[in-house]
Amino acid sequence: MKLRIKITKDAGIRFISHLEYVRTIERAIRRAKLPVAYSEGFNPHMKFSLASALGVGVTSEAEFVEIELAEEIDLPSTMIKLAVNLPTGIRILAADLADTKADKLMAQAGGADYKVVVPCREDCNWQAAVDRFNEAESVLFQKPIPKGRGMTKEIEVKSFIDHLEAERAGDNLQLTFSCKITPTGSMKAAELLLVLRDSFELPLLVEKADILRTDLYAVDKDGKKMPLLKPEYIA
Amino acid sequence: MTKQFPIDILSQVQKPARYTGGEFGSIIKTAEDTKVSIVLAFPDVYEVGMSYLGFKILYHILNKEEGVAAERVYAPWVDMEAKMRENALPLTSQETGKTLRDFDFVGFTLQYELSYTNILNMLDLGQIPLFSKERTDEDPFVIAGGPCVYNPEPLADFVDFFIIGEGEEIIVELMDAYKQWQSEGLPGGRSEFLQRVVRIDGIYVPSFYDVEYLPDGKVAKVKANNPMAPAVVKKRVVKDMNTISFPTAPIVPFGEIVHDRIMLEVFRGCTRGCRFCHAGMVYRPVRERKPELLKQLARELVDNTGYNEISLVSLSTADYSCLAPLIHDLITELKEEKVSISLPSLRVDSFSVDLAKEVQAVRKSGLTFAPEAGSQRMRNVINKGVTEEDLMNAVGAAFESGWSTVKLYFMIGLPGETDEDILAIAELAKAVQYKYFQVTGHRGAKVTVSVSSFVPKPYTPFQWKGQDTIEEIRRKQMLLKDALKVKNITYQYHDSVTSVIEGVFARGDRRLGKALYLAWQRGAKFDGWSEHFSYSRWLEAISDCGLDKAFYANRDRDIDEIFPWEHIQPAVSRAFLWNEYQKSLREELTEDCRHGKCSGCGVCPNLDVKIIDWKEQGHDEAKN
Repeated sequence: MKLRIKITKDAGIRFISHLEYVRTIERAIRRAKLPVAYSEGFNPHMKFSLASALGVGVTSEAEFVEIELAEEIDLPSTMIKLAVNLPTGIRILAADLADTKADKLMAQAGGADYKVVVPCREDCNWQAAVDRFNEAESVLFQKPIPKGRGMTKEIEVKSFIDHLEAERAGDNLQLTFSCKITPTGSMKAAELLLVLRDSFELPLLVEKADILRTDLYAVDKDGKKMPLLKPEYIA
Repeated sequence: MTKQFPIDILSQVQKPARYTGGEFGSIIKTAEDTKVSIVLAFPDVYEVGMSYLGFKILYHILNKEEGVAAERVYAPWVDMEAKMRENALPLTSQETGKTLRDFDFVGFTLQYELSYTNILNMLDLGQIPLFSKERTDEDPFVIAGGPCVYNPEPLADFVDFFIIGEGEEIIVELMDAYKQWQSEGLPGGRSEFLQRVVRIDGIYVPSFYDVEYLPDGKVAKVKANNPMAPAVVKKRVVKDMNTISFPTAPIVPFGEIVHDRIMLEVFRGCTRGCRFCHAGMVYRPVRERKPELLKQLARELVDNTGYNEISLVSLSTADYSCLAPLIHDLITELKEEKVSISLPSLRVDSFSVDLAKEVQAVRKSGLTFAPEAGSQRMRNVINKGVTEEDLMNAVGAAFESGWSTVKLYFMIGLPGETDEDILAIAELAKAVQYKYFQVTGHRGAKVTVSVSSFVPKPYTPFQWKGQDTIEEIRRKQMLLKDALKVKNITYQYHDSVTSVIEGVFARGDRRLGKALYLAWQRGAKFDGWSEHFSYSRWLEAISDCGLDKAFYANRDRDIDEIFPWEHIQPAVSRAFLWNEYQKSLREELTEDCRHGKCSGCGVCPNLDVKIIDWKEQGHDEAKN
């Protein structure tokens, strides 16, 4: 049996790293005494994983944890036990139970939605820039290779993010968009901001961007969003 | 929720989670629940400060008190400090984001002398006037505790008062005194509060004392200038470790900290009497917790933290009288939950190796032993009651059990040390290597020799002794380096310029406050981190104040010299320390009073306390 939980990474803890987030959940699971399956061997580790890594500084309303269980559990009471053992920056939104052999959520995730609020100079024609992005056939970006010592690889932005919505809110521009996750990779929301600033002359204060992942989901053959969890438990 | 630094700043610094709080177990009280606020300030970076057990204890004890809110703050790393100064952002607490200036108390811990510049830097970033005399009724009281308070004099200008000794009880008395003063409407301002707290045993208010100096710079006398101030401030000590509260729901950080595990304190104090050891002298006497209590605390700690490792901590855990049964019981209870037990240090004997075998049943990482000196003569000088035979038995047992890597800790620069004593370190390391061949029939044991340079500390028998000069230490390091050019022996040492400044401040006086201030003004901070330490900056700061480093560090003192720290007392008598110093010159040993006869250090009668050893007293409850 696998327990799958949808949780948040709230603003207060946005700056903990992915590894720190994983360790934090692991310790909460231990405190809540969930009957988790462990790997064999001298250094047994808990069998659990996250569906998708989130960049440091990004908040999320859609993180997914997948935990292999050693015994059956009662979903509602287990979720209450876990909730009290999580730090304030992590809330449980939903959960379900699935067969151990079910596809890993990591493999199922096909896309993520984002909402970005970013300061943008007032005297700019932001609408025109956004229109140009939406109409462009191809937008290329030199994506840094992780630990690549400044080396980059060229990616096609439009294959991940086809369209974005924008509106002005005071000094800020609010952008909403969907970003595809493919077996070969994806693109970070922060990278899109760099593209808009550097290739579309949008005067964004990228360092001050407040990025929120609003959803993570599977995508079916027709490109339709499919929820990752069955609606078994809603907090 | 906490007030946080802006996104753009946090996204540009290393390890931003150091600054954002919100860890599981942190306690945030509302303004209505906060009558008295105190921020526990650790003058080093988050990962170091979060590993400090003393603050876990005080955080817990203080927050248990009604109306008291204890929060935390750490020294921002240099990248963050630059951003804060650039954007005029003050230093704030982890819990509520309150600026240091707005607390009632800012409490620093003095763990090592080289953190003192960070204290000034944190006060400055927290918008608090650096000098006590410049603070007004609007400012918090800046207080300090910890091991370095047994000579707090270099910080006398900056700290309003010091807490001497163990903090569990006195910190509550202090909070009560503040509440009382507050309920009366804070009459008389700061100076009246100081008059009140000085009546609490264990509180030292430096401004209530004047120091007079002789023409040669030594102390002539230290005299109280306030009728309420006691002539001598004795340390506070908890009589029975079984009756005070120990935190069982400590904060669990997000990121990895230095000691990222449960720390369970098994006892306090150590009476082995190593003559170089400050902790061994100032934390007397030995007081053990009952094994039954420790097992209960371990259970609660595992349940509340989710950690999978428990470290049994103390000054010398292998000396805990009921250790073997305790470890056995803990392992039995916690194995299923994948919780392991670890020991921070081992004694040089085969008993310790057996324990190590039990606690790390699987992983065969290296074992570490601390013979401290290479020759038997030198080990007698320092009263390290360990023989070469003990070491050979210990490493022999380790090699028989499958270990092949051993680390040995030594000190150089010890009193009366000759070149033969230095070379004996190399001989001992080679003997350990040969032992591996004898035991296993193979060559190739890996031996690491780690050497630090000795710094004489106040309230040790060597407080009269001059420290080796940096030139002499370097010569000895090279001598040993040459002697250790042997395959599979690694020699670790580091340039000892930091220990020179440590030595100056360890036995320094109030006049050094000026040098501290100057060095800080010229950029000194994180002096314990070699990449930030500038020896020339320190030498200039000291000499620009008309002071001489050799006067403090390298000078032998006379039998009757008055030391700057003698009005603060850990209660070991001066006569005992002098006698120990004389015995060291005669290479005579003193036995551990815990099992042998009383060594007459004076602590028990002076403080009305006694040794608590469960086995000696027939309370071997863990046996069953």
